[in-house]
Amino acid sequence: MAYEAQFYPGATSVAENRRKHMSGKVEKLREISDDDLTIILGHRVPGTDYPSTHPPLAEMGEPECSIRELVEPTDGAKAGDRIRYVQFVDSMYNAPSTPYFRTYNAAINFRGVDPGTLSGRQVVEARERDMEELAKFQLETEMTCPALACLRGASVHGHSLRLQEDGVMFDMLERVRLENGTIIVQKDQVGRPIDKKVDLGKPMSEEEAAKRTTIYRVDNVPYREDKEVLEWVHRIFEKRTMYGYKPAVQE
Amino acid sequence: MADDRKRMFQKDLENKFTKEHGTNKMGGGDITDMRIPYYRLGVDQNPRKLEMKKVGKEIAEKRGLAGYNPMMHCGGIPLGQRALTPSFISGNDDMMVENDDLHYVNNAAMQQMWDDIRRTCIVGMDMAHETLEKRLGIEVTPETINHYLEVLNHALPGSAVVQEHMVESHPALVDDCYVKIFTGDDELADEIDDQFLIDIDKQFPAEQAEQLKSAIGNTTWQAAHIPTIVSRTTDGGQTTRWTAMQIGMSYIAAYGMCAGEAAVADLSYAAKHAGVVGMGDMLPARRARAPNEPGGIPFGNLADIIQTSRINPDDPADVTLEVVGAGCMLYDQIWLGSYMSGGVGFTQYSTAAYTNNILDDNLYYDVEYINDKYDGAADKGIDNKVAPSMDVIKDIATESTLYGLENYEKYPVALEDHFGGSQRATVLSAAAGSAGVLATGNANAGLSAWYLCMYLHKEGHGRLGFFGFDLQDQCGATNTFSYQSDEGLPHELRGPNYPNYAMNVGHQGGYAAIAAAAHAGRGDAYALNPLIKVCFADEMLPFDFSQPRKEFGRGALREFEPAGERSLIIPAK
Repeated sequence: MAYEAQFYPGATSVAENRRKHMSGKVEKLREISDDDLTIILGHRVPGTDYPSTHPPLAEMGEPECSIRELVEPTDGAKAGDRIRYVQFVDSMYNAPSTPYFRTYNAAINFRGVDPGTLSGRQVVEARERDMEELAKFQLETEMTCPALACLRGASVHGHSLRLQEDGVMFDMLERVRLENGTIIVQKDQVGRPIDKKVDLGKPMSEEEAAKRTTIYRVDNVPYREDKEVLEWVHRIFEKRTMYGYKPAVQE
Repeated sequence: MADDRKRMFQKDLENKFTKEHGTNKMGGGDITDMRIPYYRLGVDQNPRKLEMKKVGKEIAEKRGLAGYNPMMHCGGIPLGQRALTPSFISGNDDMMVENDDLHYVNNAAMQQMWDDIRRTCIVGMDMAHETLEKRLGIEVTPETINHYLEVLNHALPGSAVVQEHMVESHPALVDDCYVKIFTGDDELADEIDDQFLIDIDKQFPAEQAEQLKSAIGNTTWQAAHIPTIVSRTTDGGQTTRWTAMQIGMSYIAAYGMCAGEAAVADLSYAAKHAGVVGMGDMLPARRARAPNEPGGIPFGNLADIIQTSRINPDDPADVTLEVVGAGCMLYDQIWLGSYMSGGVGFTQYSTAAYTNNILDDNLYYDVEYINDKYDGAADKGIDNKVAPSMDVIKDIATESTLYGLENYEKYPVALEDHFGGSQRATVLSAAAGSAGVLATGNANAGLSAWYLCMYLHKEGHGRLGFFGFDLQDQCGATNTFSYQSDEGLPHELRGPNYPNYAMNVGHQGGYAAIAAAAHAGRGDAYALNPLIKVCFADEMLPFDFSQPRKEFGRGALREFEPAGERSLIIPAK
C-alpha cells in the first residue's frame, strides 16, 4: 500500500487547515494577474525580462556531476534568475496562515525555495520566477486573507497588534487600504508607492477567517482542546529529551 | 481557576492602553478590545520623544552636522504610527517609565549594575597570611588585618603607600572603591572592625547565614570593588589586576615587608591567580573578552549576585523574577544587545520580561497551580518538592504555557505589549521553566520545562521567535540532560556563552532565573557560589542588588545616583 502523508495530527478545524496548507490542497479564492503580482512585489517593472545573474544553465556547460544529473533545475535556476524574496505578514487575529504553515507549504510543495520563519513575518527567497510562482499560489488561495495578511518587505510590525477599526491589520506604512469593500494595494513590499492600484479583492468575513485559520485561539478553536496535537508535542519533546540523555534509551 | 483569576497585569495594561499618556489619545476603550483607532500621531505624542527631538535639533545646529532626526525613520514616516505608551516596572506598584529610558544608555542604574559586577573580585586572604606567617615569620592578628584593611582602603582607589613622589587618583573620583572582608569564622569576625566587615549574621536570615558560614568555613575573603571610572576606562580583566597590585603594595606597607623580597611575588600570585574569584570566566578567543565580562558570568553566579533571596526568602517566585530582570538587562541588553550584536533593539525584547507584570502574573499563577496540585511544592522548602519526572515537567510546563498563551488571546493589549514572538517566547518559557524549578528544586528539570514550552508555543500560534532563536530553542531539549558532559552541564554552571545560548535574545534572564529559582525554592542560601552571595550582601554598593527591577525604574525616572562621575574634572555646564 502506498504511503499517504498525514502531515499533521489533530481533530479540530485548525488542525485540518494545517494539513491543507502543508499538503498544498487549498482552495483558490481569487485571481491575481502576473502584472499585478509583479507590481506589488516591487522587484521589477511588469513586462520586463527577469534580470539574471548567470547565463542559462544549458549554455554554461556544467561540470559532470551525478547530483546535477539527478536533480532537475527549477525554471528560475535554468534561466539564471537572480534570487528575490516574498515576505508575508499574517495577523494573529485569525489570519488563515501562520509563519510556520507558510513555510511548510513552501518547503513541501515547491522546489528551490529558502523559507525563513519568524514570529511576525515569513520570507521565502528563491529564483525570481520560482518565487513568483509560490507568491501567486499563496496569495490566490485560502492561505491568504487580503485584510489579515500583507506583503511586507520591511517595517513589518502588525501581526500581533489589534486590528484597525475597519478590520484591516495595522501597517505603519499603510501599504493597503480598504476601499469600497475591497483591499487595494497602494505600496509595494518595502513601502514604495505604486502607480497602479492593485485590487486584492474582498476581505474574509470574521466567520470565514475563523473557519479557515491555522492559529489556535481561545476565542475560536482553543489549543487546550486539541488533545491529539498536545499529545504529539509531548511525544516529540520526550523523544528529543531522552535521546539526548542516552541514545540507547530510544533503541 | 484561570478564568476567575484577577490578572496581575490588568491595572498596568489599563493604565498603559486605556489612559492618555502625553498626547497619544489612548483614553478610553477596554483591554479586551480587538479593534482600535490608529491616530498615527508620530513622535510628538510622547514626552520623551519630544525631548529627544528638540535636543537632536539643537545638537545638529550647534555642531553643524546632522544628528538625531526622527523624520529619517522609514523615509519620513516616524515612529508613533501607533500609540507610544509607557511601561510599568513589574513588582513595583505604579512605577511608570518611558520605554526609551529602559535602554541602558539612558539608564544610569543599569550602567551601574554592570559596573558594580565588572569592578568586583573576591580575593582570599589565607594564602597571603600563610606566606607571611610560615615563610616570613610575621605574626598575623585581627589587629594587623584591620590595619592592613585601612591601608588597602587608601590604596585600592589608586593611592600610594610605599612609593615617593607618586601621582594618585583623586579620592572624589573614586569614592565608590573599597574593600571589605567576610569569613565563616565567628571569632575572627568579632575582632574585625565593623567598617571592614560584611557581617553574614546581620545580612542574612539565620538559616541562610548558617549555610553560608558552613560553606565558607574558617577561610577569609576580601570583597574588592575597584573604581567604576577605572573599570569603564579599561575592561573586566582589569579588576583582578588592579586589585592585586594594590593588595601587594598594601601588604608591603602594612606588614613592613621589603618591596623586592620574593614573598611579594607569592602574594601577587595569590591575589592575581591562585586565590582570586572573578564574577565571570574568560571567553574563548572568538569572543575575545577578558574575565569579568558579561558573557563569562555563569547563570549561577548572577543568581548569587542578586540579593533578593536574603531580603524576601519566603517568596521564591519574587526572587526568581528579580533575577529575570537583572539577567535580561545584563545578558540581553548589554551582552547580546551591544557586545555581541551592536544593535539597539534588544531593549525591546528584554524589557518584556520585567515590565507590566505579565511574566509575574504567569509565574504566580503557576505557583498557585503547583501548590494546589502538588501539595505546596512551589513554597520554599526541601521536603515539599515533587520528584522531577517527565510527567511532572510535562504537566507544569503545559499548564503554564497554555495559561500564558490564552492571556495573549484574551487580552489583546498583552499581545500588543509583547508584539514580537521572541518576547512572548521568553516570557512564556521563563514562567514555565521557573515553575518547573520551583516545583522540583532541580534546575535542569526547569530547563526541560523551558524547552517543552517552546514547542508548545510554536505549535499553538504557528510561530515562535526568529530564525536562529528558533533553532536554539528547538534543539535545546536534547541537551537538557545530555550524558555528554559538555552538553549536559548542570544549569547553574551554564552561561550566556554556552553553545545553544550564545545568541538567544531575551532568554538569558530566564535562564539565570531558573538557576535562582532552584535554590530560592529550596531555601538555599546560594545557588552556586557562597562567596559571591556574601560579597554582594553589601549596602555600600551604589546599585541595590536586592531589588534590581526597582533600581532600573529609578534609573528610568532619573532618580538613581551612579558612581564614577567626572563632574569634578570637567568644565561646569
